[in-house]
Amino acid sequence: MSPRRLSVRARLTLWNAGVLMLIVCAFAAGFLLFVRARLFEELDRQLLRELTTIDWVYHTEPWELKDLASESGITLFRITVDGSLRHQTEGWEREGLARALKDGGSMPAASWTAPDGRSYRVQAVADPSYHISAAMEETSFRHTLWTLAAVLAMGVPFAVGLAIAGGYFLAGRVLSPVGAMADKAREITADSLGERLPVGNSQDEFGRLATVFNDTLSRLHDSFDRLRRFTSDASHELRTPLTAIRSVGEVALQAPLDSGGYRDVIGSMLEEVDRLTRLVDSLLTLTRADSGATQPAREVVNLTALAGNVADLLRVLAEEKQQSLSVDNAAPVEAVCDPAILRLALMNLLHNAIKYTPNGGAIHVRATATASGQPSIEVQDTGPGIPAAHQERIFERFYRVDPDRSRESGGTGLGLAIARWAVAANGGRIELESEKSKGSLFRIVLPGLA
Amino acid sequence: MRILVIEDEKKVAKALREGLEAEHYEVRVAADGEEGLLLASRDPFDLVLLDLMLPQRDGIDILTTLRKRRVPTPVFILTARDAVEDRVLGLDGGADDYLVKPFTFPELLARIRALLRRGRTDRSLKLQHEDLQIDLTTRKVARREQSLELTGKEFEILECLLRHRGRIVSREMLGREVWQVGARATPLDNVIDVTMARLRRKIDDPFEKKLLHTVRGVGFVLGARRE
Repeated sequence: MSPRRLSVRARLTLWNAGVLMLIVCAFAAGFLLFVRARLFEELDRQLLRELTTIDWVYHTEPWELKDLASESGITLFRITVDGSLRHQTEGWEREGLARALKDGGSMPAASWTAPDGRSYRVQAVADPSYHISAAMEETSFRHTLWTLAAVLAMGVPFAVGLAIAGGYFLAGRVLSPVGAMADKAREITADSLGERLPVGNSQDEFGRLATVFNDTLSRLHDSFDRLRRFTSDASHELRTPLTAIRSVGEVALQAPLDSGGYRDVIGSMLEEVDRLTRLVDSLLTLTRADSGATQPAREVVNLTALAGNVADLLRVLAEEKQQSLSVDNAAPVEAVCDPAILRLALMNLLHNAIKYTPNGGAIHVRATATASGQPSIEVQDTGPGIPAAHQERIFERFYRVDPDRSRESGGTGLGLAIARWAVAANGGRIELESEKSKGSLFRIVLPGLA
Repeated sequence: MRILVIEDEKKVAKALREGLEAEHYEVRVAADGEEGLLLASRDPFDLVLLDLMLPQRDGIDILTTLRKRRVPTPVFILTARDAVEDRVLGLDGGADDYLVKPFTFPELLARIRALLRRGRTDRSLKLQHEDLQIDLTTRKVARREQSLELTGKEFEILECLLRHRGRIVSREMLGREVWQVGARATPLDNVIDVTMARLRRKIDDPFEKKLLHTVRGVGFVLGARRE
């Protein structure tokens, strides 16, 4: 199984155990080396002491040499003078320790293993006239070291095994909220988007993960709701002209008509087709905006000129209602945006203002900089105003303050939604100040020139 | 004038055939891309009306193949795909004009006439219909020798109607030709209607014979309709 196939729990445990094993092994090896070094250091020091004793006895009381073994426990040594043997203990000869020496000179402490398997520590001091060598058996030291190594060798796997078990258990406990979250998340479908993941401790990593996930769920829930409402609104709006087309056609076929009558029926059906076309066009604009397929251009646009231009385009509509449409073009205001898209927004806002302002009212368009210096375009009307309860929602698709009236005036119910998108696409926002019976002020606020 | 219509949608193909035949064009319909390509490369046509979404062979593919074979026939694209990239693709591929479905038939006819007329323009500077005269250089309008004051947009609408006199001009056409706005938007349609009503007040209301007529659900026509 490749490492990627393993569960997080297993991987955590393995990593943990691997690292621990490395540390324990390094520690055990270091410990062994340290103990060994200390043991030999001690051995060598003792050997040197023996050599000093032998040397002293040889020079002061040479007849005592044979008693050294019984008195001081120094059993392995040899003294030669000018190459001829002066004294040699029994053990030295028996173990053939002479072979450990190197051609008669002085020699630092070194280990030597006899043919029978015993090992010795051998050292020699030399003078032009005499040569003393001594040895001490080190088998017991080696034995101690081996025992220690064996203990460590058995202990390390045991400790690592314990670490694996403990790590596995701990990882399981730590990761258990993830499993719980996964189980819960699996149960959440489009229909149960209202449900949320359990948040244990909102401060720890998993708590934050669950919170983030829940936030995502909330947003998803909202957009699902909006989509559902939009779909039902859209199908209603599409069905209305379709129903009209069908019933007008069906009624016309019930009884024969003269050619003028047929013309009328066909004209009426075509009017509805026109309405459908406009609706589908607007929906497409918004859908394309939703999918991010529309890439707004970025150029410096003279907002004052744009406002004047849009006002001139729609002026005839205001004139038809004896409204005064004035454009304040005192100071030129510039912004970086897509002029075509922004124009769409302003057209919809201004058309909205003309539509809802009664005959003889006044509409004022003004390009200006906000208090914080951001370029903006204001559309002020003297219409009925928008009650606070509706202000948040009038930018939603198909939302109508007064459903009956608006349909009469032939709008698609998408104008403000398109305006909001068009401004947002340019990095701006639409502000609305309105009070009932005091008119409304729509303000397009764009990001300042960077 | 022979026109090849490459369109798989039966109803649309039938409507196109009947509508174009009523305008005295000779029409041949190909129901899929392979047949269309075969006919367009084999027979001489004055114009090819090409749908972009076709079974077997994509419209763009047909267009590029035709141009590769050096067939010079003007190609008019009809597309339901209203994305800028598609239009650019079509025009780059050698198409001469395009309309997005659903289009209005009067506009299609006007564009076809313009395409077929291409190369021999008759941009006369004075247009006249019965007792109505307009002068494109001085922008003066008169009916029965009586001078009329028109605004800029009113004049442009009248010019458009006069150029297509006797034929229906749709709101889409006016939007595109007079206001240079391609997209259908509610405000513009209202503006067109209001401007048209004012134009009518000036050139028709004072006179007994009415020249401007509304064709319900389609658009407007100047003078009696040519049948």
